Amino acid sequence: MTNINGKAYALNAITPMKPWKTPILKLFFFLLGAIKPLQNDLKNLSFIHFARWVVVGRNQFPRLSGKQPQEQLRYDYLLFFSNFNGTWNQYIDAFSAVLSQGLDLVWRWSEKYPGSRPVTGFKRYISLVQFDTDYYYNVYPRAATNDVKAALRVQDALDHFASASQSLSPADFEKAWLEFLVRVQSDLGSTGMAPVGT
Amino acid sequence: MANRSGQVYGLTILCPIIENDRLDICHSMELRWYLGHLPRDHKSPFARISSTYLARLVVMDDVVYVGAPACEEHLKSRYLVFETNFDGDLDEYLTRMARETPEFVDAVWKHCVGYPGISDTAAFVAYMKKCQVPTTFFFADVNNRTVERTLKAFQTQSALAHFIEKHQGKPPAEMQREFGALLLSMTHAPLPLPGGDESDRMPQENRPQEKSPA
Repeated sequence: MTNINGKAYALNAITPMKPWKTPILKLFFFLLGAIKPLQNDLKNLSFIHFARWVVVGRNQFPRLSGKQPQEQLRYDYLLFFSNFNGTWNQYIDAFSAVLSQGLDLVWRWSEKYPGSRPVTGFKRYISLVQFDTDYYYNVYPRAATNDVKAALRVQDALDHFASASQSLSPADFEKAWLEFLVRVQSDLGSTGMAPVGT
Repeated sequence: MANRSGQVYGLTILCPIIENDRLDICHSMELRWYLGHLPRDHKSPFARISSTYLARLVVMDDVVYVGAPACEEHLKSRYLVFETNFDGDLDEYLTRMARETPEFVDAVWKHCVGYPGISDTAAFVAYMKKCQVPTTFFFADVNNRTVERTLKAFQTQSALAHFIEKHQGKPPAEMQREFGALLLSMTHAPLPLPGGDESDRMPQENRPQEKSPA
């Protein structure tokens, strides 16, 4: 079992849903995808690299051979996969504190969902429906989401500055260099090893 | 399409694992054993498929019973969940998996029902797509760059920070000359290793000291 790789944690969760509720949840996700400002809280948390929800209908589990027994399920299932920075507790706490309404709109259609507040019941529920990762790869284990964004801002600023910098006179270069430094100075922190956590 | 956010593709695959009661070690256990020993750093097969950001493989034993009054039910097969986030096109990604990491693909998917092998790449791609479940909602915090561009950015950030530290207070002409040399050296510098190395994951007390770039 290996839910952690560097600064990223892989969370997997599966929850049962009565099939008549599935279209409502899909409609909510459609709106969330179409109306970008609805994603602002998720984006502003800025510790999730990638996350996804996948609804698997009770008849949609892949069956590839006649010998493979046919699933006979009464529920549809909502799968959740997240790649986030920090510890499990920090993640669930932040979700509960900041995204409470959004989370409730996603999971209220799942059986026995207790609501994201109070957080103790929510944590108990996530613990129950979570399953562990067997293999986890992370292309940049030393980087959190904010590190990625900071490095990309530095790269963009450098690309812009570099092309002009060599044709300037030394006096103009000095001025432009200082302006460039002011632009990138808060993004120059280096990436590093993750603290040991759970 | 919800599988994609900007340039990033979120692929989710569920492959049924072969069940055979007559084996001493079942397929799911053998698969877990293999995955448990697979390198997670730059020696990972996903480091070779260079457009991969984050990927995971999970043996899903069953669905979860959340308690009464919900009904208890169980899956009849175990499933291998393959979740990956990459930049680019799905067909190209799956083709690269088959061509560039054949031993890995074979070692994992030989435990799955209907796996056609990797000798016929098109058949493998078709098989994986048959097992794909569409993503209902996909969130990517940064979705307008490539893996290569991001690794390059980390290299630039680190090199620039050290350059600034080393050259503070130097005369503008010298600074400009040295900055030109830095730009040239960065053009030719190899990218950081995708996946890092194992020291990135060591307990604090066993880690080597952080090194500054030369």
